[in-house]
Amino acid sequence: MAKHFERKGRRLLGFNLQSWIKGFFGGNAGLSIVILFLICLFLVLEAVRFFPSHHQELKLSQKSGQEYVDYVIREADEYQNLVSFTNQAYFQELDARFGIERGVVDSFGVFQGMIEDDAGDEMDGLEEARDEEDPAALKEAEAAYQAAVARIVNEADRKMVDSFGRLAENDEAWRSVKEAASSYDAVEEEIPAFVEEAETKMTEGMASFEEAKALISSSGVPLKDLRSKLVKIAASIKDDAIADLTASARKEALLEGAEKVEGEAREAKLAEAGKIVIQDEFPFAERIKPIVAAHGDHVAAVATLREKIQEGIGRLPSEFSSEPAEKLVGKIRKLEPKFIEALDESIEESGQWKWDDEIDWVSSVTKFFFGKDWTTNSEWRQVYGFLPLFTGSIIISLIALCIAVPLSIGAAIYVNRLSTKWEQTFIKPAIEMIQAIPSIVLGFFGIMVLGNILLEYSSSPWISWLPGFPITERLNMLNAGMLLALMAVPTIFTLCEDALNNVPRSFSEASLALGASKLQTVNKVIVPAAISGILAAVLLGLGRVIGETMVVLLVAGNKISMPEWSAGLGVIAQPSHTMTGIIAQEMGEVSSGTLHYRALFLVGLVLFTISLTINVAAQKIIKRLGNHA
Amino acid sequence: MTETSVTTDPAAAPSVASNEPIIAIDDLSFSYDLGKTNTLRNISLEIPAGKVTAFIGPSGCGKSTLLRCLNRMNDLVDTAKVTTGRISILGQDINAPDVEAIELRKHVGMVFQKYNPFPKSIYENVAYGLRVQGIKNKGILDQAVEESLQKAALWGEVKDRLDSSALGLSGGQQQRLCIARTIAVKPRIVLMDEPCSALDPIATARIEELIAELQEDFTIVIVTHNMQQATRVSDRTAFFYLGELIEYDETQIIFGNPSIKQTEDYVSGRFG
Ligand SMILES: Nc1ncnc2c1ncn2[C@@H]1O[C@H](COP(=O)(O)OP(=O)(O)OP(=O)(O)O)[C@@H](O)[C@H]1O
Ligand SMILES: [Mg+2]
Repeated sequence: MAKHFERKGRRLLGFNLQSWIKGFFGGNAGLSIVILFLICLFLVLEAVRFFPSHHQELKLSQKSGQEYVDYVIREADEYQNLVSFTNQAYFQELDARFGIERGVVDSFGVFQGMIEDDAGDEMDGLEEARDEEDPAALKEAEAAYQAAVARIVNEADRKMVDSFGRLAENDEAWRSVKEAASSYDAVEEEIPAFVEEAETKMTEGMASFEEAKALISSSGVPLKDLRSKLVKIAASIKDDAIADLTASARKEALLEGAEKVEGEAREAKLAEAGKIVIQDEFPFAERIKPIVAAHGDHVAAVATLREKIQEGIGRLPSEFSSEPAEKLVGKIRKLEPKFIEALDESIEESGQWKWDDEIDWVSSVTKFFFGKDWTTNSEWRQVYGFLPLFTGSIIISLIALCIAVPLSIGAAIYVNRLSTKWEQTFIKPAIEMIQAIPSIVLGFFGIMVLGNILLEYSSSPWISWLPGFPITERLNMLNAGMLLALMAVPTIFTLCEDALNNVPRSFSEASLALGASKLQTVNKVIVPAAISGILAAVLLGLGRVIGETMVVLLVAGNKISMPEWSAGLGVIAQPSHTMTGIIAQEMGEVSSGTLHYRALFLVGLVLFTISLTINVAAQKIIKRLGNHA
Repeated sequence: MTETSVTTDPAAAPSVASNEPIIAIDDLSFSYDLGKTNTLRNISLEIPAGKVTAFIGPSGCGKSTLLRCLNRMNDLVDTAKVTTGRISILGQDINAPDVEAIELRKHVGMVFQKYNPFPKSIYENVAYGLRVQGIKNKGILDQAVEESLQKAALWGEVKDRLDSSALGLSGGQQQRLCIARTIAVKPRIVLMDEPCSALDPIATARIEELIAELQEDFTIVIVTHNMQQATRVSDRTAFFYLGELIEYDETQIIFGNPSIKQTEDYVSGRFG
């Protein structure tokens, strides 16, 4: 009997060609799934292990007293802010009132320095000649000295001597300074009366301000001293505690190493290993005592600060010649009550602080997600607070969407419904072309061009009323948001255009036939019918923007701190850091397995979760609301 | 807002003497490609007011094209152009530069071959034409919706579910909703392009009944492929072939005793 259905073709390992090809493609698909799974697994494992280490770090910070010292540090930092505002105001005012005098004194000082540096030999000669009392030699030496001084003074660059240009508009004063410098006797160090007068005028004129400034500067001295003392203690406790934690491991390693070497090296290793004491428990209670005992000093230092600074601020002048100085002092006066309140709060909280309160593991989670500081490269303490990064990413994305959504939806509507065929043929490819701009190029553009344009034109009167304007930082969230908007436009535009395209022609025909205008048709029929697609487009645009790295890294300003909400909508002009930016910036400096390394992975995991959620939501929306086609 | 301020009120619309045609097409040629080839050639035709006029002819002969010339729906095609002749509706040249297509369409409504209600509620579908004219008064809208649905013989079936989606209705109901939507703006003329071709025989019969009733208030122009339907609903019939008007007369004459051989062949089913 003939076989009709016999399998044909050569077989390899029991499979024919068809099966092999099928297996190849199936294998590829399977491989990508397995790789995805492995990446997710790795990400989750690395990220989740952040929490135990973080918990450990938090416990150490508490038991070593760093947590307490942080109160002192924060107080001192805020105090330092006020001091620097005061100094700025002082010098602004000084410049405004005694600019010429200051110019005279400073320029003369520069000449003085130049003479001492460049005419040193002539000065020595003069001094010698004077001692020897030989009139001829003296004359010669004097002549040489004067010639050198004259040369120095005449050759000096005016811009370098009067480096702040205080005398730029006052040639007379400049000439006087030059004359004074030419006839200056560097050996006797006799300051000319003209310069001395200017100096006296300055000191007398600024006397009351100076006094207030000195009061403010001195008010925090005890607190600053206390800070440096406590910082040292806490840091040494922590270092020792860490050494203790790793003691047994180090000892083992040394002993093991000793086995491998001979003679003296071996002896040395054994001796070192012998020195390592393994304690049952690190004596935190003993070591923390000086910090606990310092609370009294702390309260006293803050009391001094409080009293003196209030007096100092009270004595600041209330009339100014300089507008910036007036503003700065106004700012100081406004900050004062908040500063005092914060001091009181800080003292109260630090009074209740305990070194041995139990820290539960939940706080290692909440301190990460709600912490407002991210400090990694300080020797003092590592702090991982995710909130400023998250906020930065969200604000930048919102700025980008606020710009990109109307732009791209408008463009999509125009291209899809209102434009002529001819316009379509170039608008669509042009918008899609934006995608071809590498993000590094955009970032470069943001730094070199857009930042400067914003900086320069944001103060022009017809836009300076906008929130956050005039802009003071070249790199900020608005700048980054604008560039990201540009990157989001093609995504949103293309998807929106698809969504609009999916709305059946018959809807717009029906609407037009009822006497609706094209615009009414778009608003009342087409957009509502395409709304699910449009929403999905916006969401995917958000996903695009939130995951973008290069532009934000370059342009957002990379300042890790919570935005100053008091600026209202103006926060958009502040610099910030982002989730993506921090990973890109810091991954180079972390070593595997450290707390910092895991923190970055955790940020990555959060980012991944956000992107995933956005994508799933977009798909759900499309499915749920569906297309009415 | 009072009823009289609504521009679609027939009383306010321009009127023609009863013996004058409501639509007068004179030597019309029309092209979809800027005049290179004429899809319609030298068509002259007068459509009387208050009657039902049927357009018949084999597929591709230009019936829909002519119909869409009457409310200038062809404006949507960038390259469409009337090459010669003119169309007057209510005595006015509708392609004159001072005519606004949007205004024209308020007087010349259209019902499409495939029912196409908006993905909105039944109520909003019917109210749409009035809303785009800026009417917001709930009383006027309610009244217009009820009146139009009643005229479209749909009120009884939907009055309890006005707020539910129009897409939940049956095909026949959706087509009647489209008719209601069209007549809600009170046009003088209703153009229908094969309104029953997507419907089953029962739904078709209901639409045909409806056309007979609507005839009292509106001038109707209907395109159909169905000879029986043309005889049942229309007063006059125009037969087109390859973009030309072959014969135009009373429906009985066209189907009973046409004067041109081509017409006779077509209506008796020998070609087409
Ligand atoms: N938008 C358009 N652009 C270009 N040509 C068109 C367009 N619409 C129709 N045509 C052409 O015009 C001619 C007439 O088409 P039309 O739709 O008017 O025919 P019809 O008589 O309605 O046919 P049917 O009975 O099949 O609906 C056809 O050759 C068609 O290909
Ligand atoms: Mg047709």
